Amino acid sequence: MKFKWMICMLALLVFAGPIMAQEGAAPAAGPAVNWVAIGFGIAMALASGMCALAQGKATASAVESMARNPGASAVIRGALILGLALIESLALYTLVVIFYQLLVK
Amino acid sequence: MPEHELWLTALFNNYLSGPANAALSLVGMHAENPAKPWANFVTMEILVVAILMIVAASLRPKLSVDQPGRLQHTFEVLYGFLRGQSEEVIGHHGPHFLRLFATLFFFILSCNLIGIIPTFESPTMFVPVTLGCALVTFGYYHYMGLKEQGAGNYLKHFTGGVPLLLMPLMVPIEIISHLARPLSLTIRLFANMFAGEQVTVVFLMLTYLIAPVIFMGLHVFVAFLQAYIFALLTMVYVQSAVSHDH
Repeated sequence: MKFKWMICMLALLVFAGPIMAQEGAAPAAGPAVNWVAIGFGIAMALASGMCALAQGKATASAVESMARNPGASAVIRGALILGLALIESLALYTLVVIFYQLLVK
Repeated sequence: MPEHELWLTALFNNYLSGPANAALSLVGMHAENPAKPWANFVTMEILVVAILMIVAASLRPKLSVDQPGRLQHTFEVLYGFLRGQSEEVIGHHGPHFLRLFATLFFFILSCNLIGIIPTFESPTMFVPVTLGCALVTFGYYHYMGLKEQGAGNYLKHFTGGVPLLLMPLMVPIEIISHLARPLSLTIRLFANMFAGEQVTVVFLMLTYLIAPVIFMGLHVFVAFLQAYIFALLTMVYVQSAVSHDH
């Protein structure tokens, strides 16, 4: 089951091919499809989606362990906040790359 | 990135552009636009430092054990929190390093929050500022590790305790992970502050009052959280550099 999920995710990366060709050039020859913008959209959506999955897993296990051991709530909450911020930063790296491409190039 | 000049930066550029250009040429650099050598984030940083110093200076004579005022209470809560965190992360001699952690925390928090006031801008929205804070952290934890454990012993940490044959594999990985630390600190803080502002601006363009306010509220929470995360990660790095296997 997990293997099929990984294959589906990797199949989406097929879309990444055209972006590399188009990014240096001016937007689109031919029927004016803006591959660059599509690429940015897919990249950001993918990053946010996986970030959400990871944060959901972290929150779920934190809440469950708080329910099992309410006395350790403060420690668990601290670890949860730290973990969430670190995972969030990974999604933000994608955003930084996108903004760099848009505004600096 | 469009650099709209703030009123404070305009003030600096009008009156202090001469000394700024002289200082830059002393170091051998030139401003892009010699009429405007002050950047927004430089003047904002100076403002934040001035505000922090004024608050601390005004608090100092009013410190009292029996009748603490509100400001003293606030600072005591924050200081106690940071001290507790450093003891938890580093151990009993954590508070020895508390000066840096508290400075970073208060500076980054104030820089993050000042961007919410309408005509000001967070200096931490710009990479040079966050890079500076991250390099301070990087230099500090390496310096403390070298001081605490001696040069040879500290460099042996880079091998991570694997057998001798695996060391040529382990050392580059450790070096890369050590170099990734200031990079990730920089980008995390910069991206959070920049994205928070961009989201607020975009929603301000789309709707008028309610949605941007919600995102600004989220931005305030993220400002506190990112300042705390930066200080906490600094503590973790100092702990990994300084901790002995007693």
